[in-house]
Amino acid sequence: MKGTYTSLFAALALAGTALASPVAAEEGPTSADIVNDANTPGDVLSYGLGPWQQRYSPLKEVNSDNVTKLVPAYAASLGGEKQRGQESQPLVYDGMIYVTGSYSRLFAFDAKTGEKVWEYDARLPDGIMPCCDVVNRGAAIHGNKVIFATLDAHLVALDRKTGKVIWNKKIADYQAGYSATAAPIIVKDMVITGNSGGEFGVIGAVQARNVDTGELIWERPVIEGHMGTLNGQPNGITGKTNATWPGDMWKTGGGATWLGGTYDPGTNMVYFGTGNPAPWNSHLRPGDNLYTSSTLAIDADTGVIKWHYQTTPHDGWDFDGVNEFIPFDATINGKAMKLGAKADRNGYFYVLDRTNGKFISANKFVMETTWANGINPKTGRPNYNDANRPGAPDGAEKGSVVFASPSFLGGKNWMPMAYSQDTGLFYVPSNDWGMDIWNEPIAYKKGAAYLGAGFTIKPIAEDHIGALRAMDPKTGKIVWEYKNPAPLWGGVLTTGGNLVFTGTPEGYLKAFDAKTGKELWKFNTGSGVVGSPITWTQDGEQYIAVMSGWGGAVPLWGGEVAKTFKEISQGGSLWVFKLAK
Amino acid sequence: MHRRGFLGTLAGSLGALALTSPFASPLSAAPLEKVRSLGVLRVGLYADNRPWSWDAAGQPAGIDVDLARALAEAFGVRADIALFTADEAVSDDLRNVVWRGGLLGFQPCDVMLHVPFDPRFAAQEDQVVFVAPYYRESFAAVCGNEARDCDVPPPQLAGKRLAAELDSIPDFYLLGGFGGILRKDVVHYPTGYEAVGAVQDGKADFAVATRAQVDAAMADNPGGNAKRRRGPLPAIASPGWDIGMAVKENSRTLGFAIEETVEAMAQDGRLATLFTRHGVEWKPALATQPNT
Repeated sequence: MKGTYTSLFAALALAGTALASPVAAEEGPTSADIVNDANTPGDVLSYGLGPWQQRYSPLKEVNSDNVTKLVPAYAASLGGEKQRGQESQPLVYDGMIYVTGSYSRLFAFDAKTGEKVWEYDARLPDGIMPCCDVVNRGAAIHGNKVIFATLDAHLVALDRKTGKVIWNKKIADYQAGYSATAAPIIVKDMVITGNSGGEFGVIGAVQARNVDTGELIWERPVIEGHMGTLNGQPNGITGKTNATWPGDMWKTGGGATWLGGTYDPGTNMVYFGTGNPAPWNSHLRPGDNLYTSSTLAIDADTGVIKWHYQTTPHDGWDFDGVNEFIPFDATINGKAMKLGAKADRNGYFYVLDRTNGKFISANKFVMETTWANGINPKTGRPNYNDANRPGAPDGAEKGSVVFASPSFLGGKNWMPMAYSQDTGLFYVPSNDWGMDIWNEPIAYKKGAAYLGAGFTIKPIAEDHIGALRAMDPKTGKIVWEYKNPAPLWGGVLTTGGNLVFTGTPEGYLKAFDAKTGKELWKFNTGSGVVGSPITWTQDGEQYIAVMSGWGGAVPLWGGEVAKTFKEISQGGSLWVFKLAK
Repeated sequence: MHRRGFLGTLAGSLGALALTSPFASPLSAAPLEKVRSLGVLRVGLYADNRPWSWDAAGQPAGIDVDLARALAEAFGVRADIALFTADEAVSDDLRNVVWRGGLLGFQPCDVMLHVPFDPRFAAQEDQVVFVAPYYRESFAAVCGNEARDCDVPPPQLAGKRLAAELDSIPDFYLLGGFGGILRKDVVHYPTGYEAVGAVQDGKADFAVATRAQVDAAMADNPGGNAKRRRGPLPAIASPGWDIGMAVKENSRTLGFAIEETVEAMAQDGRLATLFTRHGVEWKPALATQPNT
């Protein structure tokens, strides 16, 4: 493992000199530092703790033998009235913790004391009404800047010492329904982002910008028929126009890349997942609808698509394919392979060859998938259960009710999984739930009659909705699982100390034995934990931090599922832990 | 017509209470008084809904804008027109605009115009009261002047350029109707008004839109290359619907006052005149018609 990283690091350093980066090392982290983040436990320079975003730290001072002695070092409130939906992952550098808050805020805290150093509140336009709550998932750091995306679809670079704006670029038009909530990634002095949008008619895209100026370098729309650009020039159409979409529907086909991407320095590819197709009624858009509900491998220098893998062709259940594709290396059938894994909204855990997108395996990581009976290993396509596809509305009467599982919130939603280089296991925060879905004969949109769908999300087990599952990517077997009453909605961290950390809506940060799944420690933070934990060393001690603050998409949906979280209060605090002395 | 009837029918769980003694609660008297004392009526209107409400070079314009101003004038107050972006469904708009406000600081309005006035829909919305149905909407179509017969059965339009507002019933009608035979010919526009405009400009051969969108586009561009389809649209999913207004559940007095004003405007012809100014023929809501 370590050898691989060292050689990648050297290759990138060479590439970096060719790019003539103006950033001096003493100003802050360089692109080379960020690529090497997984090997520098004294800081956290990237979303996911390294470009692969394995969320693995080799630190073992805190371990499965002593984690019971973990206690709070301090907590820091984000303050104000905006106590809602803290889905962020903090960054740590040079004695500071940088963390985004809901409502497009970014905070800098003193990493020793938790005292606030500065706060930046994006001034959002009055008319903005984000579809899917007001969350933000994290920032990027490079040189003298911290960079994050805002709900009005801007990318903002702040001076990391003062919080003053260095540049602020519009990445899409919020009035056309675009937004942005994911953490940007830094690749070769570029900042690379996806986009979000709930409004009908948005098109998913990936953009790379100059990290020093915010100027666009390349853009890659993810729906077939749309033209990409490189340095302001046309750079080829995505896919082949009208190959998998009828008429002009590709122009408004959806596929928002709202969860960001990962980067593999070895292949020089960025991996971005794409959202589901529009409109929701799949009967109106026969065809695979490329490249919705897919993972795309995109050349980091040019924005050209190198391969794609579509997890849900012709989606009819709202199974978007945005989930993180995490590179890892493993030996399968005696052969050392460069792989990547993705736990999809559709309930299957996919392992692909990350150099070419070839299918290796796919296995269920949830209790049931009513919509498909496995994935065909020859084609990589689902064996669809056609009877479970929601029907076409005809506007007459309420259509028949279909029960489909997973629900449209997915076997796994946005919350990132982790991969342990010690156990060789992926730790997947998943949910077991289904939905009743039917055609709604009387619906209204923008004041006019409309053909809509009605749905109710339902638990499918007596004792849980959430389940943290340890998945062996070589066998597809679930090695252990931890069941949680409320839906899991936070990211996972695993460490060299044989530990797995994740939060729960009930308010706990919990630690599990990475090998057995035994719950070893928990601490109640006072509000639901839906952020992603991190760890680092500081003054010779190992620290663990996580955001607390219930929110996100789950509380927006009521019904039976809401019983599991109706007593949970909102919040907005950074919690930091270390071992009691 | 008996206006109390609407409130009783479409007011959610507390409707019966309001029907029997609408002015009994001191709380319910407050909203109208508040509007009068503040001197302003805040009205929520869709930002992109021509001919009803839209942003005309920085100024709100349209039928609903004029109607909102007429209401404010009747109360002797100023109209504060708040144009908002439509959410996924009207239910979301009611939450954002009438009873809760937006998550990012959009202040709730005293009244929202252009909401469906439909008992079945109202039964699902217990946070608002539906009042003052003021128009009967339905779908209509136009074709290019060169078309010999504008009333052909839709399957015969295969191969023509068919325009519709993205993600609307006219869109689904053309994409999904008649076994999908027209699907590849559909061209999408942001609004029905623009879909009709595409036919007028010779960029499309046929468009389906709401009747008000067709009326207004035809009136705004009388020399355009479009003529109206006279016959019905076979098997379209909606026979039409009433349009009314919504106030917060505890703003009944304001709702009554608005309804009285709109009723008076309907009776003395001001409402029809207001619609005519925008090229739209006023059609009274079915709910205001006896024995329908």
